[in-house]
Amino acid sequence: MRQGQPADRSDKLPTRFARALLEVAMQKPLASARPLVNIFHTFIFFGFSFYLLVNVVDVLEAFVPNWETIWQGPLADGFNLLADLFSVFVLVGMLFFLHRRFITKPKVLEFNSNVLLHPGVAAGGVRRDSLIVGGFILLHVGSRWVGSALQLAEAGGPDPWLPTASILLPLFTEMEPGLLEQTIRATWWLALGLILLFIPYFPRSKHIHLMVAPVNLALRRETPRGALDAVQDPAQPGSTTLAGLPWPQVLDAFACIMCTRCHEVCPAHESGTPLSPSALEINKRYHINAHATEVAASGARQNMLEYAISPDAVWSCTACYACVQICPVGNEPMHDILELRRSLVFDGKMPDELGEVLRSLDEQGNSFGESNRRRSKWTRKLNIKDARKEAVDLLWFVGDFASFNQSCTATTRKVAEVLTAAGVDFGVIRKGERSAGNDVRRVGEEGLFESLAEQNIELLEKCEFDRIMTTDPHTYNALKNEYPALGGEYEVVHYSTLLVELIEGGAIQLEQPLAGNATFHDPCYLGRYNGIYDAPREVIERCGLALVEMPRNRENSFCCGAGGGQIWLNDHDDMTQRPSEMRIEEALSVGVSRFLVACPKDMTMYSDAAKTSGHEEEIVVEDIIDLVHSAMGIEGVAA
Amino acid sequence: MSGVLVVCEHLSGEFADITFELLALANSLGAGDVSAVTFGSMAGKASELGSAACVIDAGCEDEYNPESYAAAVSTAVDAHSPDLILIGSTSMGMDIAAPVAAAHGLPLVAYCTTVEATNGGFACSSSLYGGKLGVSSQVSSPAVAMVLPGSCDGDAGRVAGSPAVNELAIPESAGKVRFNRLIEPEAGDVDITQSGVLVAIGRGIGSKDDIELVAELAELLDADLACSRPIVDAGWMEKSRQVGKSGFKVKPRVYIALGISGAPEHIEGMKNSATIIAINSDEDAPIFDVAHYGLTEDLFDVCEELVEELE
Amino acid sequence: MKIAVLLKMVPDLVEELEVDSTGKALDTEELKFKLNEFDDHALEEALLLGGEEDEVVALALEGEGNEKLLFTALAKGASRAVQLTGVQPGGSGEQATAFAAALAESSFDLILTGVQSVDDREGQLGPLLAARMGLPCVSVVTGVSVTDGGATVNKEYSGGVMAEFEVTLPAVLGIQSAQQPPRYAPVSKVRQMQQTATIESLTVGGAGGGAESEVTAMAPPEVGASAKMLDDAAALLEVLRGEGVA
Repeated sequence: MRQGQPADRSDKLPTRFARALLEVAMQKPLASARPLVNIFHTFIFFGFSFYLLVNVVDVLEAFVPNWETIWQGPLADGFNLLADLFSVFVLVGMLFFLHRRFITKPKVLEFNSNVLLHPGVAAGGVRRDSLIVGGFILLHVGSRWVGSALQLAEAGGPDPWLPTASILLPLFTEMEPGLLEQTIRATWWLALGLILLFIPYFPRSKHIHLMVAPVNLALRRETPRGALDAVQDPAQPGSTTLAGLPWPQVLDAFACIMCTRCHEVCPAHESGTPLSPSALEINKRYHINAHATEVAASGARQNMLEYAISPDAVWSCTACYACVQICPVGNEPMHDILELRRSLVFDGKMPDELGEVLRSLDEQGNSFGESNRRRSKWTRKLNIKDARKEAVDLLWFVGDFASFNQSCTATTRKVAEVLTAAGVDFGVIRKGERSAGNDVRRVGEEGLFESLAEQNIELLEKCEFDRIMTTDPHTYNALKNEYPALGGEYEVVHYSTLLVELIEGGAIQLEQPLAGNATFHDPCYLGRYNGIYDAPREVIERCGLALVEMPRNRENSFCCGAGGGQIWLNDHDDMTQRPSEMRIEEALSVGVSRFLVACPKDMTMYSDAAKTSGHEEEIVVEDIIDLVHSAMGIEGVAA
Repeated sequence: MSGVLVVCEHLSGEFADITFELLALANSLGAGDVSAVTFGSMAGKASELGSAACVIDAGCEDEYNPESYAAAVSTAVDAHSPDLILIGSTSMGMDIAAPVAAAHGLPLVAYCTTVEATNGGFACSSSLYGGKLGVSSQVSSPAVAMVLPGSCDGDAGRVAGSPAVNELAIPESAGKVRFNRLIEPEAGDVDITQSGVLVAIGRGIGSKDDIELVAELAELLDADLACSRPIVDAGWMEKSRQVGKSGFKVKPRVYIALGISGAPEHIEGMKNSATIIAINSDEDAPIFDVAHYGLTEDLFDVCEELVEELE
Repeated sequence: MKIAVLLKMVPDLVEELEVDSTGKALDTEELKFKLNEFDDHALEEALLLGGEEDEVVALALEGEGNEKLLFTALAKGASRAVQLTGVQPGGSGEQATAFAAALAESSFDLILTGVQSVDDREGQLGPLLAARMGLPCVSVVTGVSVTDGGATVNKEYSGGVMAEFEVTLPAVLGIQSAQQPPRYAPVSKVRQMQQTATIESLTVGGAGGGAESEVTAMAPPEVGASAKMLDDAAALLEVLRGEGVA
């Protein structure tokens, strides 16, 4: 950790820890997924927490003379009851997990075959570790449980405060007293001695999570999700080594319990590419363990691309935040990847097609390789104000996709028509606008992001407006969360929120409501990153449609596969099915024929996916503005 | 002396098309006698250069050499003092024109599509900025003009005859550039010069992934896939598929240009196609000047729609 | 080995080009410039050729945007960057004279430049420069390898045919394409260069370019003179059917 880069997480330490402990006590971080597993984890968690006390009492019992007389009465009875019950909870929970990992072996616990694994991991280290830890817990708790049954046998009868041990009792009543005494001693040593034996292994094992996870949760990032860390050293941005990562991200490796929840929700892993955020954390841990003595020196400076993650995997990430959001121990594998990208891009190591796009963004200010003068081509015949020349209430930052992409411009025009019909005083900045740079930053081109942001901020300074509106969640995120650090502080509103405002305020009259049902895809940068889940849903329902949720919705929404710059990159050769195509199938599985989006990139991704997956006839992809537009009964102007 | 001097380019024992185009242009000027400079043993084929009044046999090796050919043309200019020297705006012409102009302090006009004689000089029109602008200029005589291939009707210059052949005494070459060998293109899987229908893609394609869709379209049209230079430079397609100056000259029945802006270098390679259809989102793209049919839409959308219809 | 690469900004053809009120020159008001793409290939080829001990020097004439251009070259890996001052920007002839003056002082083994640019009406910089310096020159080069005292270069003809030449150094080469696509210079690195590196300045006299032609008019060619513009893909399909290909 000390090799890692500085990151200040020392503010409000008591609050941080109190909150983390409370969350852990409520097992809240687990709640997003895998309910069955969570029940058993809760068994083990409470059982094990109580066992801390149990172990202390057991040691006292052995070494304090006359302990039996001191430790009796209702308190001891209650303690015994809990110890007895929790023993069974832990045993049942542990058996469930061992059964799961070794007998049912769900596929989610496996890595795609193309994922880079540390040799220790590839050799089955995770399974071995699971077996050792699982075995330790079974033996530790099991022998204590058997021990208490034996003690009952010695005492001569069942105890209502030890109900489960009493059930075991009949097994031992026939035993000779001498043997009984010997066995009790053996179980005591097995239960407590095992701890001594286990202690040296403990910090290297996944079991350490019970110590590290609460710390990791307490010390987590408190900046907005959508704001990346500033570059530490502009002369060498990002990092390809552990030493170059902020120290909390080094700590992540030890908080990891290898549950693979992260890669289950990862669009890159799900679509067959060589990225597993879980493997990244596990590889880091194995590397540190294998080089424990030298990590402090050379090991921390070894290139992570050699042992932790392959370059292909780095370029497969969609920066959708699902892995960070789902992680029960507060790990941030995505942030490691983005640091790696910064470093790779700085050294010019990136896919060729990305270089082309970045060049266009640098030279033209957009990713389409087009003259920036064509940015406002979509406004033809719409009479939209030029916000550079006159004051407006609402400055519409249109964004690259909504401006240039041909499958988006019809939608963009509708937004303008709706705003006009609602009497909103708005304008655009035409060719003055540059890409907001959200995804530029996420492919690691920090300098270009700054350059784009500075140009935008410089122009916005000169414009007079109250708020900025955008339809693009990526743009929204950059303007809202990342521009302030560069001096651009604005009130930014997503069009979904604005539409709700206008509907509620009566400016938008939905006189021709629609009928039928539809599903909605939460854009990562609107939902997970910025917590806007309700506004688009409200718009949909106000327009008269019944909303049918897909299994993965709201914070568990599944990325379309375009984020983090993937929209500019070629599909990985190993990709089995595009995330967007999986999502279309997910929508069909809930029986809807309307797939609603609130993001221009989603419009492109899903109208494509509907075609390429052969479901074009069954499902139509629409923007929420399409609903409002037709519910308002607006006659569009031909471009 | 006066008149027009034409530099006769050849490759593998044959005069190149540009040679006849330059002869045709030279004759149309009405600016005096036309003399044709040949190299190596090409003077032996002087009868093919019937539209020239005389042939100047500049000697040199049969194989083109930037250094010695340029020196030879310079010597010919010394000996004949022409009013105008016409050189092809070609790979070879680029090596020759500048040294000749520099050696004699003559003005040079490149990328000419037309040259006309005027009072005391010549009026040239050059195609610049990727074919987006035509620049007219006036140059005093004597001058050097580099003419873009395909600017004149080569057939008019293909006149048999028996021009006088004068041998030129050339100085020994400094030998700083030495010819090693010719490298024939690796045989591609397809010979695009023989294709009946070509679907060609250019820079507008945007991403390598999109080639797949175009390939699908080509298959449905029973066409072969071709491309412009940037696509080859990007490593997205084989050199054997490249149409244009440094690629192949093609003459298919139908040529469909997708996202090709139409730089002169590309147009040179496909302008003789029977029917040219161009699709480009930029309505000002020069490709529409040579196309018979044009469509200004996103090429990806058009391809998708066509593929869908054809399937 | 010492390699010079000559870089030049040209109008970005992505933008619409407009002719100014004189009718003889480009309207520079809205004009945007970018590095000549062939020069980018020349720089790439130089960087690929240049080993640890070699020196790759990027040179450009003084002009708007040229400083960023040179910092970009440094960010890509050039060893030094030099800006020539005291020259009025003009045609390729004047540029060649200026570069010749700058290069005469230092002993470069190879001088690389883009084979052509979209605005070199007076001929290509490479051969014009070589003529002024009395150096051998090969244009339309797609591959260079350096041997003892010489270089082996591939020159492209048409039809995919290439010729291989041996060239005695020093020499000027007009690069058509590098052996790999030009690398991208991250803005992060360019910005870092702008803060840490310096661009050398070299004053060259305002020498003329020799005999020149005079521009009399500039105009876009007649657009769509021959093309029948279609409305949509359906109309296109009709045409294809008419041609018997669909």
